[in-house]
Order: sequence, then structure tokens, then C-alpha cells
Amino acid sequence: MGGGGTAVVSGEPGPKAKGEAALLTGRSPGQLMWTRFKRDRTGVISAYVVGFFFLVGLLAPLISKVYGKNPYTVYADERPELFDSAGVPVHPNGGISGEFWFGLEPGNGYDVFTKLIYGIRTSLMISVAVTVAVVVTGILLGVAAGYLGGRTDYFIGRVIDFLLAFPAQLFFIASMPVVVSLFVSPRDETPTYVRVVALIIVQWFLGWMGLGRILRGTALALREREFIEAAKVSGASPWRIIRKEILPNIVTPLLVQATYLLPNFVTAEAGLSYLGVGIVEPTPDWGQMFSKASTELVMQNDITYMFFPGVSVIIFVVAFNLLGDSVRDAFDPKTAR
Amino acid sequence: MLTGCSKGGSDGGGNDKQDQQNAKRQQAGIKFGDAADSTGPAAPVPGAKSGGSMEVLERDSYAHLDPAQVYVFNEMTVAQLLDRGLTGYKATSNDGKQHEVVGDLATDSGTTTDGGKTWKYTLKDGIKFADGTPITSKDVRQTVERLFAPFINQGPTYLQQWLADTSGTGYRKLLPDGPYKGKHLPDSVLSTPDDKTIVFHFKTPHPDLPYTLAMAGYSIVSAKGDTKEKYDKTPVTTGPYKIQSFKSGKSMVLVRNPAWDPKTDPIRHQYVDRFNITFNQQFEASTKALLADSGADQAGVSFSNQVDAGNLSQVLRDPKLKSRVVSGYQPYVGQMNINMSKPEMKDIRVRQAIAYALPVTPFVRAYGGSDAMQVAGGLIGPTVSGYDPAFDPYGKKKKPAGDPDKARALLKAAGKLNMKLTFGYINSQEGQQYSTAMAAGLKKAGFDVQRQEIPAETFYDQVSKVNNPYDIFHTSWGADWPSASTVMPPLYDGRQIADGASNYSQINDPHVNSEIDRINTITDPVKSSAEWEKLDKYLLTKVVNEVPTAYYKGTQIAGSKVGGLVYDDVIGGVDPRRLYIK
Repeated sequence: MGGGGTAVVSGEPGPKAKGEAALLTGRSPGQLMWTRFKRDRTGVISAYVVGFFFLVGLLAPLISKVYGKNPYTVYADERPELFDSAGVPVHPNGGISGEFWFGLEPGNGYDVFTKLIYGIRTSLMISVAVTVAVVVTGILLGVAAGYLGGRTDYFIGRVIDFLLAFPAQLFFIASMPVVVSLFVSPRDETPTYVRVVALIIVQWFLGWMGLGRILRGTALALREREFIEAAKVSGASPWRIIRKEILPNIVTPLLVQATYLLPNFVTAEAGLSYLGVGIVEPTPDWGQMFSKASTELVMQNDITYMFFPGVSVIIFVVAFNLLGDSVRDAFDPKTAR
Repeated sequence: MLTGCSKGGSDGGGNDKQDQQNAKRQQAGIKFGDAADSTGPAAPVPGAKSGGSMEVLERDSYAHLDPAQVYVFNEMTVAQLLDRGLTGYKATSNDGKQHEVVGDLATDSGTTTDGGKTWKYTLKDGIKFADGTPITSKDVRQTVERLFAPFINQGPTYLQQWLADTSGTGYRKLLPDGPYKGKHLPDSVLSTPDDKTIVFHFKTPHPDLPYTLAMAGYSIVSAKGDTKEKYDKTPVTTGPYKIQSFKSGKSMVLVRNPAWDPKTDPIRHQYVDRFNITFNQQFEASTKALLADSGADQAGVSFSNQVDAGNLSQVLRDPKLKSRVVSGYQPYVGQMNINMSKPEMKDIRVRQAIAYALPVTPFVRAYGGSDAMQVAGGLIGPTVSGYDPAFDPYGKKKKPAGDPDKARALLKAAGKLNMKLTFGYINSQEGQQYSTAMAAGLKKAGFDVQRQEIPAETFYDQVSKVNNPYDIFHTSWGADWPSASTVMPPLYDGRQIADGASNYSQINDPHVNSEIDRINTITDPVKSSAEWEKLDKYLLTKVVNEVPTAYYKGTQIAGSKVGGLVYDDVIGGVDPRRLYIK
């Protein structure tokens, strides 16, 4: 819980300073942070890498349209000459060629390139959704607990304790099929969006407590500060105080925590799909590509395949974590590494 | 070590020739042997030596040792060493491809004078249980009568149903408590006039009885040593080996049975001193251990473990392993069932469209390719008499990935383009893989495929419910002996539709029903197998309740010191009876 005391308190209200933009002084904390961040080369490169991944995910349909393939075509049946009867690509290195840039997936022979970019899309979409949900929940409950204190604080604190005691991974595995079955009619296939929604719900449910506690701590510290008391004395409503006085001051821990949370959710989601309770074939997904890569068929015949999901997820998670570090450093240069 | 390179896939090939050879062999059929064929000892295995102990790596422990409870592949294989029945399969060639049914404990494969209604067996001289007591007709009577006891619930039921002349489980009424409360089968059903003679009386002809009695499930049980339920743990065996120790789930040791007389046995050998069986060896583990070929595993083998799918193509392509690897057909035929009880499936054009559109390559691929599966044409597989390799009504051998254009035309003619098709698939890794690709193939033809996962543990329970929600689902069925009489009646007899019954497609066609009754009474096995194949053709061209997908193949591996290694077509795996240590 290292983020508990990292509140940044500006001497003067932020919005005003921005408008005036004096020549010598008057740089807002945001501007300070931005200049500090730009000086951090690791952070900038990580930001570009992360941005690239998001761009790829966002533009996946466009890229695959230009590339002329989609991740659902069973090439083992469409182009049988490229595979042996067990579905292993005949050409070396998993069938990498000018036509199939990243090769073909052993088994049903999906195109690895489009599968990967669509997999990034699925995974990032789910993780971003979970992060947003977690941040909103964390702010609402954390700040409420911290600022209001008393009974509310006690109640929310116990809920957090209770949920933290859950073995998260086990809970995911056990509850995913239950959540999915809540939505499905007996004659139809489980639609992909149901699995996606279930993944988001399950991860959100056990994902917000850490952030909630940090924000509670921050709000607790802020509550006793003079400017809050001044606002109270001048008759501001609690809602206005939370909105105008507390929220601007928790942006720092919030941003830092969110950049740490997102890659965690990416790996957690991949883990669930790897275990077979998340996204299933044929919907492209990072974790499900790992699960495919771990089969004996791929291990024995086409080790190349494993590199594409493996390397891409490592790059993404490392880059995002480094970005998180840089963001923290930029906001709060006093806590040296 | 991990260099970013990996070898491409391997080429298949050579299947057609093998296919044709199989066909020729099967059309010849399996002969019922006479007294001369049934006399021991068995012809020696060339180069065989006595002695030594053999390591056996098995995945599953034996849940049942009571012969009457044995109906599972691994138990049936070890039963070849432990138990003897009235009849048995004698290999007449050294490659495990040719067999005849001979008398095992009986002097011949059985005699009938009225076309299969009455069967007479005479026991050989000098046959004994492992405890030294001679085997008499009393033991045979006990063996048959205890099949009706309530605690016998796992084994085959053909003989019981024939004796009671009913189908389903109604046979139990004939002798509800078995022989244990003083009641016995009347002489009009089973007569044992003296110590050596047994006569079976059926109301309807059953020319297949010699095959039936050769099943491990009908091996002889000792009347004196019958401990009812406890017999499952401590059986009194009759074969060349007996159980020295058995720790369920861990290990089992088999040693020579001194009471076994090779002169009475035309089928089995007793070369190895002992078999040390260890359980819980997964396919990957046993394949790796036997591939490594070091230490005790040099004299190692597995009776029922297959080479795992990931290693399969490499094991088969390695010329150095040729003498240590055997493969052949298993009796199973995979088939996509079309649920005939669904109103949407009543139109034959829809069913034909499914048959044309369905790609079978995904299924073959998911299980390891053409080394593990062969694309099927008809419902009668290559291990069953009557198999016709030329029969391929939906062109699956030429176009295994399906013919979506033809299917689309049929679907359009039926006015059902984009109709919903619920596809129940088994939720295993293989099931997920093949079902998605199959769904993609069916979608191309204009079906709106809805895949539904079914848990693997309850898959067969779910799909054999009369009111199941699935339009299509995949099952497989293995013949109990090389005759289609163990395939067609259980799968396609419309009078057997019930929850849990094996008529998965719920077909009830009057012509099929009457043909089943008619062919069941044909006594000449060659003639009846030709008739079964005709029925197979009728089913696939006129009814279209099934789409055959693949014939299963098996590949097994042994250590370098194992001699006499042969894939036996009847066992569907390594023949344990002829193994020796080099």
C-alpha cells in the first residue's frame, strides 16, 4: 500500500493557473509532470509501445481487411495443401510465408497474424473495460469511505476485507461457467459477448479493493487538511468538496494505480482463457493462443507458433509496467527509486 | 535450444493400399474352427524365449477383475492373460491379422444342428482353475447364471438377452437373484447333462454365439470360489497367468499359473515369468519412457496405452523405431448423428445437405491426423466383416473438407437456407477444435450453426436422452466382435429408442427394423455380413441419419527387448499373449 501517502497538494487551485500562463512561474502540476515525463526516455518509448498495441487493437478490422484475411477462416480445410493430416503446417516455421506473415496455427489452421491482432483487440478491450469499472468503483467507494468515515468507512472496510479474503483465481474458475449459464438459452450457442461480459464482471468484482483502499487512505489524509476545512467552513456541500477539492488531488495515485492494474488484468484474462474458462475458440484471444501453444501438438511440431502470443504479451506487459513507473516518477519525483 | 525454427509437418500416404488389403482380408471373414483347430498347444512364436519379467505401463487401473464385469478395453486386454472362455480367437498368422474362432475350454467352437437355436459345447480334458480344481460344466452353469445377479452390471448382455429372448434389461426377470438363492436356469434354457457337456437353448436363432462366448466378459468363473461381489477383487483365474498382488491404482504383479496346461490351450503362450504392471502412466509419460528405452523399460510395453497424439507422427516416421512400434485399426467408427426426432430434420434434403457439407477433416486432425484416424465412407468399419472400402456415398474420401456447393443447393431446394442447426459437442480439447472447424464448414453451406458444449463426463448421458436439444452430435461405436450384428441392431433398431439407449440418432425406419430381424437369423456369416453392408448402404443413401466421420486407428510402442510384438486386430492393440523377452 505504498501509494497511501503520495497526495500532491497544490498551493493554489489548478484551473486558474492554466488560463493565465505567466512567463516565469505558474506552471500547473500537470505541466510539470508532462515536462518531467518527456525527459524520461524509458517512459516515452514504453508509451509509444503501449500506444502501438492499442492502435493495433483498435484498427484490427482495418488491418486485416488490407491484409485480406480474417481470424475465423479454417485454412486447414480451405488450403489443405499447406497442412499435413494432423493440421501441422507443412512448410517450416509454422508455415510463415509472404502470404501468411506469422504462419498458420496448428490444428484448424487459423491465420496467426490476424488472430494475434484480433486477440490483442479482445484482450485489451476486456482489460480496459475492467480497469474503467474498477477505477469508478474504487473512487466511489474508496473516497466515500475515506471522506465520510464513521459507519460508512467501517462497513466498506469490512466488505473490502471480506472480498480480499477470496482466493481470486479459484473464484474466477468456479464462477465463470455459472455467470455464463445465467445468460444462455438452451438451443443457442453461448454468444461471445456473454463470455466477455462475464469476464468483465468476474474480474471487476474482485479487482477494485486494492485501489479502493488506497483512495480511502488518500481521502482520509486530505480530509484533515486546511483547504478542506476552509471549504467546509465556507459552507460547501460534501458532494462539492469531494468533486472539487478531493478528486483533483487523487488523480496521481489513481493514474499510477490504473497503469499498474491494466497489465495485471490483461494477464489475468489471458490466464482464464488459458485455463479454458474465458474466451474459447474460435474467438481470437491472447490467452487462448497460449493455451493452444501449450498443447503437445504445438510443442512437438511447431514451436514457432508460441513466439507470437508469447513475445507480444511480454512486450506489452513490460512496456505498460515501465510506463506506470515513469508516470509515478513524473507525478512524484520525491519518492526516488 | 529454442531457436525460432521448427520443422514443418509430415507427409501421410500409403493408406489406400493398406485399406484395400484390409478389405480383402475382411471379406474372407473369420472362420469357426473345428476340433482340430481347437487343440493345443498354440503354434510357437518364432524366436521366442522363456523367462524374464516385463514392465507394463498402464494409464488406468483395473476397476474390475470379475470376468462378468469386464467390458472396458484395458480390462479386456489383461483378461487375455488371466481368463479363458468356452471359445476364443486364435491368431492363425504371426502378424495378428488373421484369426479364427476356436474352442478354448471347449473342444470346438460349438455345434448347432438347427441354425443357431441350440448350441452344444463339450469341455476339454485336463483344464483346471489356478487353485487346481478341474473345470466342469457346473462352473459354466455358475458363470452363466450369475450374469443375472443384480451385482453384475458392467459386462456385456448379449447372452443374457438371448437366453431370456428379450431386449433391454428385461432379461433379469429370468433369474432375479442369480444362482445364489437355490434357483437355477431350467434345462429348456441351459442344460448340463454331464460334467463335460453344456447346451444353450435359444427361442430364436443366434448364429453368432461362438463370437459372443469369446468375449472376455463370458470367461469362466469358479463355482466353488464364487464370492459374489468379492470375486471382483480375488478371482479364481484360468489363464496362463495369475494375480500375485494387486494394489488398485498403483500396481499389479502377474506370475505364471502352474495349473495352466499349454496342451489344452490353442491360443495362449507363457513365455514371460512375470508382468509388473504400474498404473497412472499417462499416454505422454508412457510414450516418453518407452522411447527413452533405458533400464527396466527396455523390457517395457503397454497393453492399452496409445502413443500420444503429439508424438505420433514422429514415432511413426522414425525408421529406427520400426521394430518397436505397432499400429492397426481399432473397432470404433466415428459418426455424426442427425437427430431424427427433430421436426427440422424430417426433410431428407436437409439431412443430405448436412452430410455433404460436414467436413470430416477437423475430426481427423484433432486426433492426430491420418495416423490416428481414417476418413470413413460407410458405417461398417474395416475391422468388421462386410466392410466395403469403395462405398463413399457423400464423397468424403475425395472431398474430406465437405462439398458446400452441393449442400447449399440442397438446402435451397428445401427452402431452409440459414436454418438454425444446434450442434452438441463434447467439451474436450479435441471436441472444441473439431467442432469449431466443422461449424465453419456447415456455415459455408448455409446453416446457422449453434454450438453447444456438453461436459465430457456426462456427454453420452446427455445425447442419449430422448428429449435432448441437439440437432447433430458426434458419437463413436465399436463392434464387440467382427460382425455388424453388434453395430446395426444397437444403433439403428427403432424399437430400442429410450433414455440411455444407444440409438442416438433416434431412427425408427420400418424397413431397417425388419431387415435387422431378418439378417439376425441368417446363419452363414459371409452371407449375413453382405446383408449388413446392404443395410449400411440403405441407411446412408435412403435414410441419412448418420454421417460417418472416421475409423479409429491405434499405435503402440514397446522397449527394444520386447519380442513377439504384434498389433492384434481382434484385441485392437498389442497382443499380450505372445510377448517374450529377447
